[in-house]
Amino acid sequence: MSMRELVTGGAACAVSGSSSSSSNPLGALANALIGSSSKTQERLKEIPNAAAATSHTQFYDDPVAALPGSELDHPFLQSNAQGSDFIRGFRTAHDNGLADAWDEIQRQPHLDRVYNAAPAPPIQPTLDGPPQRVLSSFLHSFVDSSRSGIPLHPTPLPLLGLSQGDKQCIRDRSSIMARHFFADKSEEFINSQVNALLSSLEIDSDSHAKGPMPGRFRELEDYWNESQGILKPGAHAADGWVTEFSQHRAQHGDPDAWAHSFEQQHGAGGWASEFEQEQAQLTLVDQMRGGNIVNLAAIEQTRMLAHTLSQNDDPKFQNSKFLQFVSKMSRGELIIDDNQVKPASGSWATEYQQQFNGGASWADEFVHDEVSHGPAQWVNEFATEREQEPVDDQWVNEFSKLHVDDWAEEFGRQVGEGALGDSSSDNWATAYDEFLNEQVASKERSDASTGVYVFSDMNPYVGHPNPLKEGQELFRKGLLSEAVLALEAEVMKNPENAEGWRLLGITHAENDDDQQAIAAMMRAQEADPTNLEVLLALGVSHTNELEQAAALKYLYGWLRHHPKYGTLALPELVDSLYYADVARLFNEAAQMSPEDADVHVVLGVLYNLSREYDKAIASFKTALKLQPNDYSLWNKLGATQANSVQSADAILAYQQALDLKPNYVRAWANMGISYANQGMYEDSIRYYVRALAMNPKADNAWQYLRISLSCASRNDMLEACDSRNLELLQKEFPL
Amino acid sequence: MPVFKTPFNGYSVKFSPFYESRLAVATAQNFGILGNGRVHVIDLSPSSPVINELIAFDTADGVYDVAWSESHDSVLVAAIADGSIKIYDTALPPHSNPLRSLKEHAREVHGLDYNPTRRDSFLSASWDDSVKLWTLDRPGSLRTFREHAYCVYSASWNPKHADVFASASGDCTVRIWDVREPGSTMIIPGHEHEILSCDWNKYDDCLIASASVDKSIKIWDVRNYRVPVSVLNGHGYAVRKIKFSPHRRNLIVSCSYDMTVCLWDFMVEDALVGRYDHHTEFAVGVDLSVLVDGLMASTGWDELVYVWQQGMDPRA
Repeated sequence: MSMRELVTGGAACAVSGSSSSSSNPLGALANALIGSSSKTQERLKEIPNAAAATSHTQFYDDPVAALPGSELDHPFLQSNAQGSDFIRGFRTAHDNGLADAWDEIQRQPHLDRVYNAAPAPPIQPTLDGPPQRVLSSFLHSFVDSSRSGIPLHPTPLPLLGLSQGDKQCIRDRSSIMARHFFADKSEEFINSQVNALLSSLEIDSDSHAKGPMPGRFRELEDYWNESQGILKPGAHAADGWVTEFSQHRAQHGDPDAWAHSFEQQHGAGGWASEFEQEQAQLTLVDQMRGGNIVNLAAIEQTRMLAHTLSQNDDPKFQNSKFLQFVSKMSRGELIIDDNQVKPASGSWATEYQQQFNGGASWADEFVHDEVSHGPAQWVNEFATEREQEPVDDQWVNEFSKLHVDDWAEEFGRQVGEGALGDSSSDNWATAYDEFLNEQVASKERSDASTGVYVFSDMNPYVGHPNPLKEGQELFRKGLLSEAVLALEAEVMKNPENAEGWRLLGITHAENDDDQQAIAAMMRAQEADPTNLEVLLALGVSHTNELEQAAALKYLYGWLRHHPKYGTLALPELVDSLYYADVARLFNEAAQMSPEDADVHVVLGVLYNLSREYDKAIASFKTALKLQPNDYSLWNKLGATQANSVQSADAILAYQQALDLKPNYVRAWANMGISYANQGMYEDSIRYYVRALAMNPKADNAWQYLRISLSCASRNDMLEACDSRNLELLQKEFPL
Repeated sequence: MPVFKTPFNGYSVKFSPFYESRLAVATAQNFGILGNGRVHVIDLSPSSPVINELIAFDTADGVYDVAWSESHDSVLVAAIADGSIKIYDTALPPHSNPLRSLKEHAREVHGLDYNPTRRDSFLSASWDDSVKLWTLDRPGSLRTFREHAYCVYSASWNPKHADVFASASGDCTVRIWDVREPGSTMIIPGHEHEILSCDWNKYDDCLIASASVDKSIKIWDVRNYRVPVSVLNGHGYAVRKIKFSPHRRNLIVSCSYDMTVCLWDFMVEDALVGRYDHHTEFAVGVDLSVLVDGLMASTGWDELVYVWQQGMDPRA
């Protein structure tokens, strides 16, 4: 989860204009690339029906903390992109355990969190990663373009946000695996392998060869627990296999026999001494865990692999998606060095300039970082981790070490290599650089708008006598972009108007701009903490973000503030909301009034949260029987079907939504996604183009379009896409 | 023959020891380098050429291997790249799974083997250089075997001796262990390159095969391991996995980074019996059915699982 939050960024570090949601291809690729992803590719959406309830108390204490993507559970991982880059860089130069301790914290597996959040029913790991095909196709198109010499502008893969642990995974795993393919290919490589092996033998557990080991601390803890006799709570099998298992045990004799025989030989203390031994080893490993030497060695290794790869002319091999993947990594295009993402060769200069001339100096970044993290927290963490060191000195040391020496060295090395590189790889690198630069730029842009609503510059509706009415009218007509302006004028005039904010949020959502939608909804909730529509919308948003705890809070809040079901909600639940409890309450509500479509809608959302898509689909269908003309409900149904890998059905549902509301930009875009998911890229292009014709500002859709164009081998139209030449695109891809 | 498409890259495929039509498939996103994983349990239908998915389990990191329980027909264990081992019961609904998550390995778990004779235990081989011994009824491992100096890629029980197993490691050795002994009982420095897989002959409990990055497969007699009994050359790249036939003494199947699956008879001069070229990416998982003679399955990074009868074209 942490990696996904970083990459998709939550609201905080999403690429500007696009959202943290996986409804954009960025998110989709992030999901595909870094996994975890039950952030669904297509999003549910809030209900646009107007309804209001009056406000009393705010049921949710800390709306800011609840901002989607605001790292509710990962205070360290402020997703401010520059900030994390900085921290990442800062961490690099370490040569002791701090970095690893942090990694450890970062890498708390998703599962654990899910379990912690809801220990009652073991929720499934919330991951599915539907857009894998997007990644594969993307890699394929990358390969194609490099062969045909057309510089590919990859749609931004949000790799910049990968956590330290993820990067280690990439580096370690790819270097381990890559050795399997190329070990006998070149003398150089064999040497490097032998060296790696020797150094690993030296320290017994190969921190050199495999890179730093983020998992060690956990193991230590496990051993500790073991020695303390704390048993990990195993899941309780509800059925008979345990019994059956015991029977087998009886048949097979005493299963403890091994343990006994071991104890007999080594005495009861055998395990304890093994434990001690390991502790000693761990300490040793920690000491040996140098930072950069290790990493440089790993990079050097993959670099040699890349060289080997380029000499292999077996066509089958050259077509291998995996080898292209590894190759990119080994070029430093995908591998992320500890300091920062390191685009290969010349782009360093560019990036350097962008970062420095662009006004984001290191100092700025640091300040920025501090602000977003809260200086106290940062310092505290730091102090806790390194009590024995004087904080300031250490920091200064690390900082200067990293940015003066390593950085310069790395820079020089990269530039030197770029100059010597062969031309084809240069093309590749250049294309990649451009995209990285774009990333940097767009990140800078998005930093400004982190979780904050950003108003349009020139708004003709400012000064309009009744902008709310005008906005509602425009919304009804489906002129969403215009409606946004009118509604912005309204909320600028009346910042406390919850309805204005709510409608603004819905308009943004329908216009496929989730970041703004969420920001607006947060403002709506501030203004009116008990508005049912807003609560539901936020529940949906958090479901999309897979923030179960927050989603449950909002959905529970919806129930609590509902005039009819408020009595069902037990106040004592507020502090410990479990999925099962909330789902049970809503099922009760549904029994209470089976004709209330809203309850079924919430149930559908809840089932999305637990990934019981069949039930979710059934709930939405029930709701649709009651409200067949609710286009957003059709969209929800479609998104759920798409999530349960029923893309064909999803298209039918989206079609229903579009029949009801032809200007529903999001449904057009979702339709495109569903086609793309089925590999029908040409079709998906047409739908994206249609969506863009309606809202050219839908940045997500531009990115989807780019992917689909690449996947459909329509590189000839990429330029039209980049220049946003809608006229040409519409002519080329009529619907 | 039927084909099953997985959303992620295939890593391992195993026939159920209880149902002849059932298989488990381990998959990982992005070639197992980063991302999610999924375990598929699939069923061949006797009539149609379609493979049905019975159930699938998602994981937060790639799944590198699966092993069916030898004691219960619906239980399987999965090796997760995050270092955990997860136990699933396919008879239970998804929300009751996994039954257990065993987290002791410090790094990726790469191989699992269920003990076919002492059916309550299994082994895990990990990139943390260790092998661990587990039983389902204990929350922690029974023993940790820590001698290898580099990643351990696979561990394999001896089919006759319930306490003996072998492990294959990137330190270029195969080690033979007896779980009653504190350390390894034999070290076979089998190859000059990393050893990725090992397996015992199912008919001769002294024969063991090793597969290496050096593209070769070697058959060893543990009574005299100075010289291999046989060396099988023919793969163009590292040999990823090997498996002795449960039906024919001299038959061995292998899959390789050269994207092929090969069948060998290690006792004859021209050892290569068959070569299957159906995968378009690395072939990394292969298995032979215990219940049906000649039924084979393979998976690879082309996201496909093939099940076919020996001698037939997997793609036909």
